[in-house]
Amino acid sequence: MSPEPPPLLEVRDLVKRFGGFRALDGLSLDLRAGEVLGLVGPNGSGKTTCINTIGGLQRPDGGVVTYDGRRIPGLRPHRLSRLGINRTYQSPRPFASLTVRENVLVAATEGCGSTPPDLDTLLASLGLAGQAARPAGELNSAEQKTLDLARALATAPRLLLVDELAAGLNPTELLRMAERLRALADRGMAILVVEHLMGFIERVTDRVIVMNAGRAIFGGRLAEAVRDGDVKRVFLGGAHGG
Amino acid sequence: MGRGWRELCLIVLPTVAIAAWAPNLYGNVLLLFNFVLYITLAQGMNAIYGFTGYLPFGYVGFFGAGAYGFAIAAMAGVHPAAALAVAGGAGIALGLILTPLLRLSGAYFAIANLAAAQAVYQVVANPALAPITKGPYGVSLSAVFAPRASYLVAVALMGATMAAIVWLRNGRFGLALMALRDDPVSAASAGVNIVRARTIAWLLSALVASLAGGAFAWQISVFYPETAFDMSISIFAIVFTLFGGAGTLLGPLIGVLLLYGVYNWIGIAVPQYFQLIYGALIVVLVLFLPNGLVSLLTQRGIRVP
Amino acid sequence: MLYHAVLGGLVYGLYFTLVGLGLNLMFGVMRIVNLAHGDVIMLGAYAAWALFTAWAVHPLLAALAILLAFTAIGIPVYYLIVPRLLRARDAEMLSLILFFGLQQIIEAAATIAFGTTERSIPGRVLGHHPVRILGQVLPAAWVWAGAVSAVCVAALYLYLYHSPPGMLTRAVMSNREEAKASGIDVDRVCSLAFGIALALAGIAGVFAPFMLGSVTPAIGPDLNIAAFAVIVIGTLGNPIGTVLGGIIYGVSLMLMQTFLSAWANLLPNLLLIAVLLVRPSGLLGRRVRRA
Repeated sequence: MSPEPPPLLEVRDLVKRFGGFRALDGLSLDLRAGEVLGLVGPNGSGKTTCINTIGGLQRPDGGVVTYDGRRIPGLRPHRLSRLGINRTYQSPRPFASLTVRENVLVAATEGCGSTPPDLDTLLASLGLAGQAARPAGELNSAEQKTLDLARALATAPRLLLVDELAAGLNPTELLRMAERLRALADRGMAILVVEHLMGFIERVTDRVIVMNAGRAIFGGRLAEAVRDGDVKRVFLGGAHGG
Repeated sequence: MGRGWRELCLIVLPTVAIAAWAPNLYGNVLLLFNFVLYITLAQGMNAIYGFTGYLPFGYVGFFGAGAYGFAIAAMAGVHPAAALAVAGGAGIALGLILTPLLRLSGAYFAIANLAAAQAVYQVVANPALAPITKGPYGVSLSAVFAPRASYLVAVALMGATMAAIVWLRNGRFGLALMALRDDPVSAASAGVNIVRARTIAWLLSALVASLAGGAFAWQISVFYPETAFDMSISIFAIVFTLFGGAGTLLGPLIGVLLLYGVYNWIGIAVPQYFQLIYGALIVVLVLFLPNGLVSLLTQRGIRVP
Repeated sequence: MLYHAVLGGLVYGLYFTLVGLGLNLMFGVMRIVNLAHGDVIMLGAYAAWALFTAWAVHPLLAALAILLAFTAIGIPVYYLIVPRLLRARDAEMLSLILFFGLQQIIEAAATIAFGTTERSIPGRVLGHHPVRILGQVLPAAWVWAGAVSAVCVAALYLYLYHSPPGMLTRAVMSNREEAKASGIDVDRVCSLAFGIALALAGIAGVFAPFMLGSVTPAIGPDLNIAAFAVIVIGTLGNPIGTVLGGIIYGVSLMLMQTFLSAWANLLPNLLLIAVLLVRPSGLLGRRVRRA
């Protein structure tokens, strides 16, 4: 084993309760710079809650999140953004009445703690250059998803949380999106991907964590996960959690 | 920020100049004053509704607080300029007290704000407080009466408010506000400190309304709680803003000139018929032109200042 | 005195449940805020007054007529404005402004039609003698108003929870889009709810001359504030929760009038703000704001 740098993101025993329901029940994970980690599991297993809790949208009820050697318990999203943590949303949330360029401009001016990327280059690299002057509300849903990503990238994040970016994209768009995420990781970004489409996970991730009922039941490569007994039970049996 | 300077020079300065010069051409200064007042209030409403989406149905609460802040200070013998500062302070103080309302969304906020304005009115008008506010019996400020000076103060305030809208329209802060209006959750992700941003917008619009109230008190010098807390002040400000187009500089200005013009043309003689027409106009407006007159242009991709 | 205030407040609060009931039904089903609600109540009051003055129609009979007439008027009015309104981007906000416009129209038309004179219906029409309940004496009109309110709440409950169109209404209340997707004729369900909401306001209006002493075309906005206070306390969007709001409102108003009368008129507003700040979702609510 070569000596590895410490993880950029360390999550230890994360707990999030909604009333009596434990959406996260002691989840732990590590994520290094340049690594893409997939989070898979049945509906309700806590994947989105995990992203919401790390991303500051929800306060954890227990556990520790360490980012870049610093604890970030309950910091609000705008603070996290300036620290270099950003995300996309399951259903895209553009600023509908602002133009595409203004959408990324807000993020670059308000949410970037370092040097923001050149916005025109960013939009061009994501295929949005032609839409720059259009109100974001007029984009189709695939374009809005891409805009969500563009807005996150405008803050020059070091950790990107991606919540079901692939759902609703056609195969060509899917492929392009996968390549983009890989390219970002190759340049040193740490990326946490929640996704249902296994083909996409396979293509993008270095490693996956399989979740069930708020816990990690498997960690490793996707190919190994499909051979794992617990994973099979959760996905095929469907009796527990769900 | 070249566009901002252009708007300042081509729209704000001429408006201020015309308003300041108008009393030399037209004798009814009170009517001119009301135009200036409503442009100010509509732009102040614009700052909060147009840029953050919060609809303050009780906007008149700040106006009344400013009017009474001015009146109480003036009755205590304070110089009018200092009394205006008291008016602004009263608005900011009320705004701070009501800041928690910003946690509410949509209709909840509008209703709570309406109730808050009513509550302030009921406190001011309460006979138990007559030694301070003169209660329901009204105030008289004949000692500081100065129609010309108070008119010019109102014009200056209008200019400053319009300049603030230009800043919001073209600056980084206004963009952040509009992002938060469209989607507060993703605005937070994009780095906007949403609590701070909307509090600033809120206090700004509270300050505008309360200073307008102070200028109003100075101008008319005799008034009652019902006058200073008249719900139709809120409503006029909302309707003018909406009619022209919220979130723009020209929209509220056009809204006031057209609608308040019509109001003075037919309204005074037969108030009920005017109210009828006004109500119908609002209904038609909301159903057929919900984004105001300027949307006729913006829908075609034309940017309206 | 305390006991009398509490009992009187209960009956009074039952009436104010009816005042808020229609407003809450409309918000619950359509997510629109009827700022003209108080003026619909005012119209109900004038309808009852006109029927009584012209043909000596008993108010309870008038209430029945108003129930039918207001529902029948409400349905076409719904189709005229609401579907179009709900297509807008910010329908909840725009509804405030639109219904404010309607409120202006109604108030102006009523002023033109009836003048600004205070109108009332003699209290003896609803019973010559005060009624003794649990050892306390209350005006007969109060008891009738409370009883009719209770009947209206029960009827609305039966409608919503035990009738086929009521089930559909609740489906629309919980999720309009999903209801539409599953094939429910949302506009039909909503138009009926809209009509019922207006009818409930109209019936509340029948008793307004008795409960308020007299009516003028300008009583709408004040009734609206009271109705808002009631439904916000009792949980916005939950019609049955209105009962809790009405009773808390009525009892606290009576206590204030008994023990601190100079500041009693502040109460509805302060209650409303306090409840919104402490529990924005209302006392029974579970809606949480996330940002």
